[in-house]
Amino acid sequence: MSGNRHSRTSYNTFFYSFAGFLFLYSAYLFLSNLDQLFVTEAAIKTREITSWGEDREILNQFAGGFWKDPYFWKSLNLTLVITLMTTFIATILGIPTAYALSRYRIPGKSVVDVLFSSLMVMPGSVIGICLIVMFNYGPLWDLQNLLGFRFGHSIFPGMLIASLVLSFAFGMSAWKATFDSVNPRFEQVARSLGSTRWRAFRTVTFPLAKSGIVTGIILAWTRAMAEFSAVLFFCGTFRELPASRFSNFTKFLQMDQADWLSVAVWAQVEFGNIEYGFALAFVLVFIGGISVYVMHRIGAKGYVW
Amino acid sequence: MIEIKNLSGNLGEFRLHDINLEVNKGEYLAILGPTGAGKTVLIEYIAGIYKPDKGSILVDEEDITSLYPEERNIGYVPQDYALFPNLTVKRNIAYGLEARKMPSEQVDSIVSDMISRLKIEYIQNRMPLNLSGGEKQRVALGRALATEPRLLLLDEPLSALDENLRTEMARELRRVQRDVNGTFIHVCHNFEEASDVADRVAIMNDGTIVQTGILKEVMEAPKNEFVARFMKSQNIFYGLSDGSTIKIGKTTTLVKKDTFTGDVIVAIRPEDIAIVENEKDKGQNIFSGKVESTKHKPYFTEIAVDMELPLIVYSQTERKYNKGDKIRVRIPSEKIIMIKKS
Repeated sequence: MSGNRHSRTSYNTFFYSFAGFLFLYSAYLFLSNLDQLFVTEAAIKTREITSWGEDREILNQFAGGFWKDPYFWKSLNLTLVITLMTTFIATILGIPTAYALSRYRIPGKSVVDVLFSSLMVMPGSVIGICLIVMFNYGPLWDLQNLLGFRFGHSIFPGMLIASLVLSFAFGMSAWKATFDSVNPRFEQVARSLGSTRWRAFRTVTFPLAKSGIVTGIILAWTRAMAEFSAVLFFCGTFRELPASRFSNFTKFLQMDQADWLSVAVWAQVEFGNIEYGFALAFVLVFIGGISVYVMHRIGAKGYVW
Repeated sequence: MIEIKNLSGNLGEFRLHDINLEVNKGEYLAILGPTGAGKTVLIEYIAGIYKPDKGSILVDEEDITSLYPEERNIGYVPQDYALFPNLTVKRNIAYGLEARKMPSEQVDSIVSDMISRLKIEYIQNRMPLNLSGGEKQRVALGRALATEPRLLLLDEPLSALDENLRTEMARELRRVQRDVNGTFIHVCHNFEEASDVADRVAIMNDGTIVQTGILKEVMEAPKNEFVARFMKSQNIFYGLSDGSTIKIGKTTTLVKKDTFTGDVIVAIRPEDIAIVENEKDKGQNIFSGKVESTKHKPYFTEIAVDMELPLIVYSQTERKYNKGDKIRVRIPSEKIIMIKKS
């Protein structure tokens, strides 16, 4: 017991020192570029008439003043909204799936298990290309024809699908591990005492699995937000698309002409605007850091409370 | 009354076939068998955790085979007790009553009655993780009994306890069973434990019930070699009976009158063999040999005797036996158990 506590403490010390170092170093780089952070109203206006990448001098001025750029806010908004939706869907689908895989004797269970586990070791680009192929041929292509819109290169549901794949796989692995760790005897005894299956889950399994479930939700959230290649491959970028291509709903949500944040980082760097890219990366580090911190706080509480 | 008829099932590693068992109301039955005999699987079928492939389970003439566990009103105490670690002792005991949506005053009164009956007032607000083995067992028992189940299933309830506590808890189980006049099925793998608690035993081996009866009956008249060995008849031989004597090996002949003849299995319990102290004593079934080894047990000495039939006998006298000592033993004819070889 004391051994475990010791290793846990040293692990935490290591984790927080490392995370702290990364965070402070990023902050240092960010602040040391403050001289470039000022951007004029005129420059913003100029951007509107300058096509992307044509005038690096002007674009470079956006480096630190990114918070004055509507593109940044729309991208952040887009990423947060889609990530939230992805996490919600992954949770709604993933928890029952993980529970079923953990508790029931289902034929082909190990195949499903291997499938989801192998998804986790796939590069995002592989997921991306698989999605492109899946949605451009066969029954899913026919389905899109029937519905009258394309899934690929869209915010809804394209981005949602691309970020969902790995988010679901990661969340599910955490939830399944959690349910595996809760002795099924508890539920069996609860049912022998007259509890329905649902009440047994609600009053015994869920409280025991709560921290693991929350960890899985945060894992699904961070994994969805960190998705890059799959979104880039399947959806591409939206910044340069004319406003008319976006639905009123997307405009209403302030998500038009914006990019998935990690894609935006790449796009900025690709066009030589490293400072802007770094500033966006810093925002991702910040959100990711908070998420992981919350996860560790909850995980540290142990499974019974 | 519980009736199990032709129950068969396959759970991968464990297979049960043609289980037939009856348990009377208010009876304490022990299911005995070696590890892997399928005892736990059988009570999981009775509890409704798994559905059998064939056969039926009837409680008071109601067929419960296809009911969910929550519809059966059968208490179940697993080997590890499975106390809910997120609930206090009190809430653990109240769990089944709350599941029945009983008014809270009624729940409280049943729970406090159960707590005082099991003498666990001092731990009622504690979490199960901090309890000792005996306390956990009492709580598990209280939780299962609070709902007044028609039948209580106990899966090796004493195996997690140390030796001294085991005897005490066995007595406690028996007391509680009489107190609530409950029908109990208790799974265990040693017959001392069964003899401490049970009215009747059912011996299981290889996924089926081999023999049922009161313990003494099963000890004195085992149905086959497995039961004889399991009930610690340490002297088991193969012989040929002609109706009045049994020939074992080349030279040994035991006098035993019986109706059946042919190949037989002979079982003799060590405690039934008498040591003949008087050199002059002569009679039927007296054999002499040499002491091969001795083992001191709490109330007797176990002696391995080297003769044509290698015998294990018990001595309850003060006399000391050393290796190589001459010893004479008498096997009472009426204590020789004969089992027809199948």
